[in-house]
Amino acid sequence: MNDTADVVVIGGGIVGCATAYNLARLGAGKVVLLERDYLASGATGRCGAGMRMQWGTETNCLLSRESTRMLEQLPELLDVDIDIELKQGGYLLLAYTEKMAAQFKKNLQLQNSLGIPSRWVTPAEAKEIVPHLNTAGLLGATFCAKDGHCNPFKATAAYAKAAERHGVEIRTNSEVTGIEAECCRITGVKTRWGTISTPRVVVAAGGYSKQLGRMVGVELPIYPERHEILVTEPVEPMQDSMVMSFHHNLYCQQSPHGSFIMGIGHPDEPESFNTESSWQFLGEMARRLIEILPPLAGLNVVRQWAGLYDMSPDRQPILGPAGDVEGFHVAAGFSGHGFMIAPITGQIVAEKLLGLKTALPVELLDAGRFARGDLFVEPSVV
Amino acid sequence: MRIANHPILEFPQRETVKFVFDGKEVTGLAGEPIAAALHAAGVRSLHHSSRFHRPRGLFCAIGNCSSCLMTVDGVPNVRICVEPLRAGMQVETQEGKGKLV
Repeated sequence: MNDTADVVVIGGGIVGCATAYNLARLGAGKVVLLERDYLASGATGRCGAGMRMQWGTETNCLLSRESTRMLEQLPELLDVDIDIELKQGGYLLLAYTEKMAAQFKKNLQLQNSLGIPSRWVTPAEAKEIVPHLNTAGLLGATFCAKDGHCNPFKATAAYAKAAERHGVEIRTNSEVTGIEAECCRITGVKTRWGTISTPRVVVAAGGYSKQLGRMVGVELPIYPERHEILVTEPVEPMQDSMVMSFHHNLYCQQSPHGSFIMGIGHPDEPESFNTESSWQFLGEMARRLIEILPPLAGLNVVRQWAGLYDMSPDRQPILGPAGDVEGFHVAAGFSGHGFMIAPITGQIVAEKLLGLKTALPVELLDAGRFARGDLFVEPSVV
Repeated sequence: MRIANHPILEFPQRETVKFVFDGKEVTGLAGEPIAAALHAAGVRSLHHSSRFHRPRGLFCAIGNCSSCLMTVDGVPNVRICVEPLRAGMQVETQEGKGKLV
């Protein structure tokens, strides 16, 4: 079978789908997207469904600002009839220590200078935003009303549908078993269904990206890290805003459907591909949560699961060509905030691959920054 | 309606208790599922579907299906098919998804 493509995108999460859509839209030719399981079966579909612009590095602020603008009108932008369940109820980031408050105020300056409408709120104002918040020990918080919720499955489906309309061929159940290169350039991608001849490949495989890089001798500084999460029964709307505490290492929001989605980060979580749920998580999650949001103790848990963050050394993504192999491109290393910055990411990766001017100046996101030592670590990650 | 005599099952003697359903006093047997007491009292519509608000009756009867969720003593989303009846309970038909606070 003569199977060829101009670009093969590996990974059917929202980043892969958005990249494939933009490639096709910008005239990359025949684009094939390969997904091991089903669309949004990895980190995208397991994430906390939040989107925020309150970040601590300029790159993350810009990426999230542009992506929020796009998410606000995504069905129109993509011309698809899919409700992505956007709810801009804000994000409340709680500060419990002087050091944290100082960092938050520094972040606010950066955010405001980039046009992000975040602000400092006192504990009393925070309680107005989230009436059931326990403000004991709280020094203050930052709030951005334009942050909020979006359904990862539906947003991915919207990109996939738009991509297919632009001629992208999406192949699910197609795990990549090898990437072929000859004399420092990409020549093909292998799956169990056969080999696709292609001069270019985009790796958007989240925590599995390092393994794919190694198939052609490119070493990506991305490692997988399990994060656990749960969802409760739905109740009537009572919490508009996401509540996030780096002190408790926790986030919790109520989805438009009424259920609460929440997760915690674990500093001792080892690098692994483990996506099993643990019994320890349930108790620890509940204990930390009811400290700051006491009435939620009355909610029943419906389901818990886990997913992989694709961590990079500075908690910012790696976008564009990587390594010495011509035609090898990466969109990974999102470190837990890939979903919310996917719209602009997909566009930038496609623009970079096609040699076009990128929508944002993202020189800082190239793979070479680690060798150069240009690191500025994102401080605001759970 | 209650089955008093059954060829295989035996029904233990239970105390008759009063509880409140949607503001009206109803009687049932202590320890039986709330749903059983309501069924005996002629209540067939227990909940409504979330999108089209169609009435829902007793369905799985083992606490799995969410067809019988009610607010009991102020707690929303109680599965009345598996919640034992106690004297003086305040049982209310739940509008929507239930209010936590």
